[in-house]
Amino acid sequence: MKRPLATAMAAIAGLSAFTFAHAAELGATDEPIKLAVNEWTGQQITTRIAGHMLEQAGYKVQYVTAGYQNMWQAMADGDLDAAVEVWASNVPQSYHQLHDAGKLEDLGALGLDAREGFVYPAYMEESCPGLPDWKALAECAATFATVETLPEGRLLDYPGEWGTPGADRIKALGLPFRAIPAGSEGALVAEFRAATAQKAPLLAVFWQPHWALDAFGLHFVALPEGTEACYTDPAVGPNPDVTGDCDFIPTRVFKAAWPGLKEKWPAAHEILSNLTLSVEQQQPLMGAVDVDGRQTPEVVSEWLAANESAWRPVVQAAVE
Amino acid sequence: MTDRFSPGTRAAALVLLVGAACLVLAPLAPWLVKWPVALTVPATEWIGAAVTWLAGFLKPVARFAAQMLAYPMGWAGQVLIHAPFPLTIGVFTALGWHLGGWRMALGALAGLGFVLVSGYWAPGMTTLSLVAVAVPLALLAGGVTGIIAYKVPALRRPIHLLLDVMQTVPTFAYLTPLLLLLGFGPVVGLIASSIYAAPPIARNVLLGLQRVEPDIREAAAMNGANPWQQLFLVELPTASRQIWVGVNQTIMAALSMVIIAAVIGGFDDIGWAVLLTMRKADFGNSLVAGLVIVIFAVLIDRMSGSLAETRPAHARKVTWAILALAVISTLAAARYLPASNDIGLLGGITDWVNDVLGRFIIAFGPLLSSVKTTVMIYVLLPLRIGLDHAVTPATWGFPWSATLSVAWFVVAALLAAVLAWRGHLLAGLVLLLAAGMLKLGITHLPWPFVLLGAGALGWVAGGSALAAYAVILPAIIMVMGLWEPALLSLYLSGTAVLICAVVGGLVGLLSALSPAVWSVVRPVCDLLQTIPMFVFLIPVLMLFQIGEFSALLAICSYAVVPMIRYTRQGLVSTPEEQIEAAISSGANGRALLTEVRLPYATPVILLGLNQTILYAFSMLVIAALIGTTDLGQQIYLALGQGDVGLGIAAGAAMAMLALVADRLVQGFALKRSEELGLHV
Repeated sequence: MKRPLATAMAAIAGLSAFTFAHAAELGATDEPIKLAVNEWTGQQITTRIAGHMLEQAGYKVQYVTAGYQNMWQAMADGDLDAAVEVWASNVPQSYHQLHDAGKLEDLGALGLDAREGFVYPAYMEESCPGLPDWKALAECAATFATVETLPEGRLLDYPGEWGTPGADRIKALGLPFRAIPAGSEGALVAEFRAATAQKAPLLAVFWQPHWALDAFGLHFVALPEGTEACYTDPAVGPNPDVTGDCDFIPTRVFKAAWPGLKEKWPAAHEILSNLTLSVEQQQPLMGAVDVDGRQTPEVVSEWLAANESAWRPVVQAAVE
Repeated sequence: MTDRFSPGTRAAALVLLVGAACLVLAPLAPWLVKWPVALTVPATEWIGAAVTWLAGFLKPVARFAAQMLAYPMGWAGQVLIHAPFPLTIGVFTALGWHLGGWRMALGALAGLGFVLVSGYWAPGMTTLSLVAVAVPLALLAGGVTGIIAYKVPALRRPIHLLLDVMQTVPTFAYLTPLLLLLGFGPVVGLIASSIYAAPPIARNVLLGLQRVEPDIREAAAMNGANPWQQLFLVELPTASRQIWVGVNQTIMAALSMVIIAAVIGGFDDIGWAVLLTMRKADFGNSLVAGLVIVIFAVLIDRMSGSLAETRPAHARKVTWAILALAVISTLAAARYLPASNDIGLLGGITDWVNDVLGRFIIAFGPLLSSVKTTVMIYVLLPLRIGLDHAVTPATWGFPWSATLSVAWFVVAALLAAVLAWRGHLLAGLVLLLAAGMLKLGITHLPWPFVLLGAGALGWVAGGSALAAYAVILPAIIMVMGLWEPALLSLYLSGTAVLICAVVGGLVGLLSALSPAVWSVVRPVCDLLQTIPMFVFLIPVLMLFQIGEFSALLAICSYAVVPMIRYTRQGLVSTPEEQIEAAISSGANGRALLTEVRLPYATPVILLGLNQTILYAFSMLVIAALIGTTDLGQQIYLALGQGDVGLGIAAGAAMAMLALVADRLVQGFALKRSEELGLHV
């Protein structure tokens, strides 16, 4: 833990926001609650924390590895019971269809203050002095150019199946860049690794919390403020003709569950609904796993033991 | 006329004529270049709707079957994961001894020892449990298919086509419908693996049965065996060696699907471990996880491969002794042994690998990046978008102009005329075609030109039936509205195949000439073929960034292997009497190679090229992870978004391209063999 005090305070601030509801029935404690474990470390940490809280409440928990893009039908069928870190920015269409049909339940925001935007390695401020201001990008485009994009600059976009937010932004903002879809998260990280090792130019669409921001010294570009109005009203933002000519709107990170959860395990439903985790809490744990190479369960157990005040009240409120 | 010009010349001339017409008329009729969107059908929607509707019907049955299959898988998992590791290692070592003596026993011991210290023991055993259920399932389905094809000759052609489709449609493409049908979990991966792994056994059962000597069959019939007795008591045992080859191939195919199955998730296997390390771009750890799969593949390959050979008996006593030792050490040490999960001794090595890679990139990054830039500017960009788009002041230092276009074609025409004058009319025509294609770029080729070109190749390779095949399948892709990604796929895989043919051919030639070279090349080939390609994406990406250059390298590193193997195989298997005859008539080393060995090896080399083409297509989906925009990416996108229709349509398009390429090369190989009077 880098900043235990700040973390504890953030946790307390987060917790005080709850209205502690009545204690709920435990329900079917002899059957395990199946939590989805997805591909990225942050999700795995959140899931372990949630699982531990459920166990403390008296439940059995089963961690089921599941592909994030393909697990939603399984959750609607009750083969999976909950996923505790779902990013609205890259959740597939099938989630929305099933949610709208009442086959998936939204358990509310996780409180993970996610941020998306354009990132660059800190050393780029030397070769492109105007950064982090976005207007500098227009002048430095050639610095970011590669042979595939000449004469335009190169922007690494999200993998294709997450949509093309980078391409949309540069088009709306009129930046002389070309968006190259990254293919996968691993491909993005591999580029960060290689570029920072050689101090090579790089501009990418990326998100926070992620261990790579600290590990590779990545900074966000200051784009015009992203607001709902900017995405609906062309007049808002620097380009008067289009919408979306501004920064990303903060992504909602939330929890989703099989609709039968509430009836079968009422207290678990309450615990998961009230579960929150902040970027300040999650990011150091991600670093311990992805940078220091430690095992997720071990890192999470340590944190749980050291930060009882951050999660115990949620469990107590549900079961007592 | 017909006497003077070969079919190839006439076909090339026709294609050239049509291409030139398209080029001239393009400004007047843009629809000649780009198939109008209005004339495409919403095939992906139709397919999606049809499959979803069908899945609704089949769902209850499929779900029941999935539940039934989950039991044996659970049992296999229980046994393999919960068995104490000294026992498992002991059993495999004993099996190694029984099948292949001390070398195989030692191999099993060392290999599984590595798996243990890698820290991936439990995921590794989960993977084995998947393979342990998928393989019998594939063997059963494939074996029955093979027998049916043998017994009912009328069904052979459709069955062959079915097997081709099963092997060419990328697995990613049918994962989404399988998820729809079977629900979530390891059973989806199991079924997907079985679908991919069944064709080799079906093919080999059929081949083995067809090769049973007629007199053996007659003897059985004369002794009063009924057809089924004849099949099970005489024919199948006689064909057993060929069938074991199929078993071996089926196991390897099932193992290669492990990583694909992991994309869905559902259980914590080694493929999932590779995916997680890939996500962090952690090359050291992904290499170790990948090597676990390689070890399984090599062990299973050697062990099951030895079943196809007559092997010396190894003392039973030793087998029992090894087993007894394993049991005793398990019992004795049970108390002191750490859990397999807690063993992870390779942390230092993975850090070292990452460190070396990092330093390599710092040292050679700029150099490699300039190599990449040069290749992109002067080779890949012109091939993809044509000289007229690739030549710009930013790349070549000057813009492309109309004058340059004229000059380009004039020079090409002059060269072609010289060639024709010297009696190489076909070469001249091909040169003109190549000049036109290079000027336009593969992705900007007019569709009538592509279709007619494919048809012409088909006609030369195998007559009008193959020509129709080569025109109709691509036309279907076009009408489905997948023409642009298909052309990109064609560009990527076509370029890769070209590179593989040259590089693989040369390496194969060197390997054939020098056993020392082969002793280095062979293990590299083994590694490239068995390690999940995901692992190599990381260093390739770090060296060459996201983009088509990296994609191309990834495709080539996998697809080059069959070209090397078959070229070598073809060259070293020239019959001795032919070589002797040539030597006695005064041929020296060089003439021996070019005039005896090479012509004789051509059909085998073409078979290798055929495999290289299929491999290149199969790698397109993996290359999608480094950000391509071709059919592979469409399939990947469909998987991500759960778009059943797009997945199947793009998968079918990919299979169609691969099948056309496959049939064309086979046609040429067959022609060549007939000219040589050989049987392939």
